[in-house]
Amino acid sequence: MSGNLLPAGFQALEPFVEGWAIEGSENRLRRRLQSTPEEREAFFEAAMPLVQPALAQLDKKRLTEFDAAEQRLMNLMLSMAHVAHAVEVQREDEPFHAEGARHITITRSSADSNPGL
Amino acid sequence: MTAEPQRFQPVPREAHADLGTGPIPAQPYYTREYFELEREAIFKRSWLQIGHVCEIPEPGDFLVRPVEVADASILITRDAEGELHAFHNVCTHRGTQLVDASCGKRSRFSCPYHMWTFSNRGDLVSAPDFENFYVDQASCALPRVAVDVCAGQIFINLDKSPRQGLREFLGPLAEQMERLPMARATAISEYVYEVDANWKLTYDNFQENYHLRFIHPRSGEMAGGPQNPFGYPERYAFHGPHRTQTIWSNPDARPLPFQLLAFTKVAQFAMQDQLDMQIRDYFGVFPNLFVLGTATTHFSQSIMPIAENRTRSVIRLYWIGEDDCASRRFAREFNMTTALDIHSEDRAVIEAGHRGLASGALSHIHFQSQEVLCRHLFNEVDRRVQDYRAELAAAGGVQ
Repeated sequence: MSGNLLPAGFQALEPFVEGWAIEGSENRLRRRLQSTPEEREAFFEAAMPLVQPALAQLDKKRLTEFDAAEQRLMNLMLSMAHVAHAVEVQREDEPFHAEGARHITITRSSADSNPGL
Repeated sequence: MTAEPQRFQPVPREAHADLGTGPIPAQPYYTREYFELEREAIFKRSWLQIGHVCEIPEPGDFLVRPVEVADASILITRDAEGELHAFHNVCTHRGTQLVDASCGKRSRFSCPYHMWTFSNRGDLVSAPDFENFYVDQASCALPRVAVDVCAGQIFINLDKSPRQGLREFLGPLAEQMERLPMARATAISEYVYEVDANWKLTYDNFQENYHLRFIHPRSGEMAGGPQNPFGYPERYAFHGPHRTQTIWSNPDARPLPFQLLAFTKVAQFAMQDQLDMQIRDYFGVFPNLFVLGTATTHFSQSIMPIAENRTRSVIRLYWIGEDDCASRRFAREFNMTTALDIHSEDRAVIEAGHRGLASGALSHIHFQSQEVLCRHLFNEVDRRVQDYRAELAAAGGVQ
């Protein structure tokens, strides 16, 4: 992998781009529900210390002006908003939780329907 | 959070005993016969929330929404003058459903069958070879449905002449809900799920906190605390068929690291938007809508009956303004996933409740004093159903 999948300073998250830089809230939910505990924990551990710096950097630019690397970083952060519930809150209860969540469909989200400013 | 939070005072056991304390018959929660009566006595006569004004902001916009419990499809339009209209989505020629799309922009609607064409004010504007009919064009307008707006929510009433206007029906809730962010919302996030359960069992799950520590042991960790282990509300109130409660805020809540980070962002934007952080009210709007009004967890849930044993829940979170930066987009996604986690945990136990009752094993169920909102819903439903039965008997119809 080349080193420019993500903005400078966030190379530590490059191994997670393929699995977690996902467009669409519903797709992010499905990814969480289909992931293994090991996948979730590895992503969470790597991303947790970078959430504040990533959002601080992304906040400097308009959402509509993100380049591909910034959009990937944004999508990684949005995936964290899903997967953190599994890792931090549900823990070993995640399989039970996922059973119910499989019946839920995200039909609209602010991130999807809203072009951003 | 203040340094010295007030100690929690539970609502006394006798506070709402006037609503009754006895057991509740089980059959209304699962039988087809009762459900058929509810369709007529409640859903075809009450104001029903069907959408939000931000979904239909411009002249020419339209929405089509199914209302399965009334076997209806409703077309909502905004005309050139900006006025909202609601119609049955039915061509007046031979009854064909007029519009297939669920939303869009169109000022004319043509029936696919014989090309009768209606304006978004409901008038029949043209029909091929109309000279061969025996009616006049003016009498062929789309069947109109009463429509009104409160707190940004679009309500319809399928009664041909509603007994009350929307404001009168909502009573004091109208003004209170107008103060919520949803009244000013410009965008929505939404998720949907269906359960194999009666609509009242679905609703009741969200009308009591007694189950929180058992069904949400992890996601609901912050709901209860030493002062209030069940996380019971501070107050219940009743307003005609509607009900409200004030959610208790746990001063001992200790968010986890990611939760703290994300909640902090949610709270920052709420304050930046000057949302009222003091509102902690839940609004139960008869028959099938509730709204959690807290600034940082603001959503509505529409509980749409499909059959006596099938219900769809539509959960909506309300946003004011566009995503204006990455942090706001992140905070909104987190808001949505937080609510979604709670909903996903409730699903199985709602279905288990229906299966148990539908076995016919129980003649009655029991509500404790902290489940008084469930009792109130039953009382309001049952009174209408019994009145309707009496109406039928008086008219010499079936029992």
